[in-house]
Amino acid sequence: MFSYLFSFDAGILTYVSFLITNIAIYAMLGLGLNLQWGFTGLINFGVAGFVAVGAYATVVLSMTGLPLFVSMVAGGLVAAIFGLGLGIATLRLREDYLAIVTIGAAELVRLVVNNESLVDGKPGAIGINGFPLPLANFRPDIFTRYGMVLMLTGVFGLALWKLGHWCRRRLVSVRESKNKVWLTAVTVVGALVLVRADVVTTIAMLNFKDNQVVNGLLFCSVLMAALVFLLVETLVRSPWGRVLKAIREDEEVAKALGKNVFSYKLQSLMIGGFITGIAGAFYAWQQSNVYPDNFKSDLTFNVWILMVLGGAGSNPGVAIGAAIFWIYTTLTRDLSKLLPMVPTSQIDAFRMVFIGLLLIGLMVWRPQGLLGNRDELTLGK
Amino acid sequence: MSAILSATGLVKSFGGVQAVDRADLEVISGSITGLIGPNGAGKTTFFNLLSNFITPDDGIVQFKGDRIDKLQPHRIARKGMVRTFQVARALSRLSVLENLLLATQNQTGETFWNVWTQPKRIALEEKQARDRAMEILDSIGLIQKANDYAGGLSGGQRKLLEIGRAMMTKPELILLDEPAAGVNPTLINQICDYIQYWNRQGVSFLIIEHNMDVIMGLCDRVWVLAEGRNLAVGTPEEIQTNDKVLEAYLGA
Repeated sequence: MFSYLFSFDAGILTYVSFLITNIAIYAMLGLGLNLQWGFTGLINFGVAGFVAVGAYATVVLSMTGLPLFVSMVAGGLVAAIFGLGLGIATLRLREDYLAIVTIGAAELVRLVVNNESLVDGKPGAIGINGFPLPLANFRPDIFTRYGMVLMLTGVFGLALWKLGHWCRRRLVSVRESKNKVWLTAVTVVGALVLVRADVVTTIAMLNFKDNQVVNGLLFCSVLMAALVFLLVETLVRSPWGRVLKAIREDEEVAKALGKNVFSYKLQSLMIGGFITGIAGAFYAWQQSNVYPDNFKSDLTFNVWILMVLGGAGSNPGVAIGAAIFWIYTTLTRDLSKLLPMVPTSQIDAFRMVFIGLLLIGLMVWRPQGLLGNRDELTLGK
Repeated sequence: MSAILSATGLVKSFGGVQAVDRADLEVISGSITGLIGPNGAGKTTFFNLLSNFITPDDGIVQFKGDRIDKLQPHRIARKGMVRTFQVARALSRLSVLENLLLATQNQTGETFWNVWTQPKRIALEEKQARDRAMEILDSIGLIQKANDYAGGLSGGQRKLLEIGRAMMTKPELILLDEPAAGVNPTLINQICDYIQYWNRQGVSFLIIEHNMDVIMGLCDRVWVLAEGRNLAVGTPEEIQTNDKVLEAYLGA
């Protein structure tokens, strides 16, 4: 367990790089969903559909020779248009119906890509592979590599600074010493994880050519996740975000005050969809192939889990939720080594059971999620 | 004495129930007009029809001379006619101040690309809106609560918040649905003072209310509704002595 945090073994470093990429991608997914549910109150159970649309659109476009990042943005736009269609069809319905329709739409996407041959006339069910990957043929010289290290360090440094800021502010307001110990412990662990992430990415960037595919994706995904985070944070703090929150609270009031509720819901669904589509491109790149089965509804529910875990309505919370979700998944993966007498299939089942229990516990004792605001949740309408 | 709002022959039925049945109403520009009637007379439905939260089956609604009965509710609000709700609706997880800021009309920052293209203008508008919101909060006595969650306010404070929120839109006409219900007497007097204060500044009011002291004290003209139909209209004095009204509503 501690080897992930302290070891400099090449295999471990590669694995941690993979883990950071995963966290960055799922953080983007969570941020997209958080805009829709956490801020606007739209129940989107079709995350996997948005991811699939973004992933397939990006991959297919990039195989026609379109530049990779143009393809990615196009993939995001196609996902946004998917959101537009879904929204026009369903947003006038009550919210529980929206939930049902989004599940159906996601399945629809999966079945379409399963049956349609999108590339070279090959059947969709066997998937697509051999598509271009970001920075796979990039040969940065030493200065470029320093530049990349600097950029990533900037991202982690900013996160660290925010963490310290948050801790200081909370320490002032918390009176009980027990909570102070707890708060300090959480901050230390968070800081440790961030420093480790920075060290690992620095090593990866300096030795970029050792594994261009993994390192290229690592660099791009962390940077993109940071960009997406800034985007949504700016949006939800703006007057635009205030309208979304008002709709979440009571759309009749927003309407009575002259806000075009339908249009804002569409915008939220589309921008959230755009972000999810971009994350979908990274999702495809990371697996370096796309199969229809990669876009089943368990993907949707994993994103929901990490959002609820971190705290819906809080962007930093969602990012932390993504980290905890993947760190948990990684650590419990090693359980089979500690308990060789138990079959792996049973351990896998237990991991899911345990995360379920964890969520139930969270709902009982901390329904607002790890970073959510308890006061907000206990308010009467 | 022109009418700022006039409704003619409004009809709405829910299944077999005729909630509003060819009812008329008129609000004279600059006046405070009352709408009274027994429970179930269709007053709140009438409000919903005026603001098009419920679409009328038949009839015409005109605001400042334009027909608004086909207009979406948010467009009606933008034209300068704002409604409040019978059960005060606070946006719980927004602060009291944010509740008011939301109500500002024509905000540059409510169009999402402007968030990046015109940050300076948005910051300036926010500052102006904040000043105005604080002024209104000060006048309705909620300034101490500005940064608290609106969900933490009491029932009476929520009523005040709703009126403040409506004022924030710079309206020409406000529809108030039972502003005094569930509010203690001192606060009722306060609310009445505000209504008169804003009325002197040129805002017209249409008020549904069961509290006759409020209606008689404030209103220039009172419309009486019973079983979805117009029963009477006149000055408060005329209404108080109208036999039909006494029988149906006020009691002898």
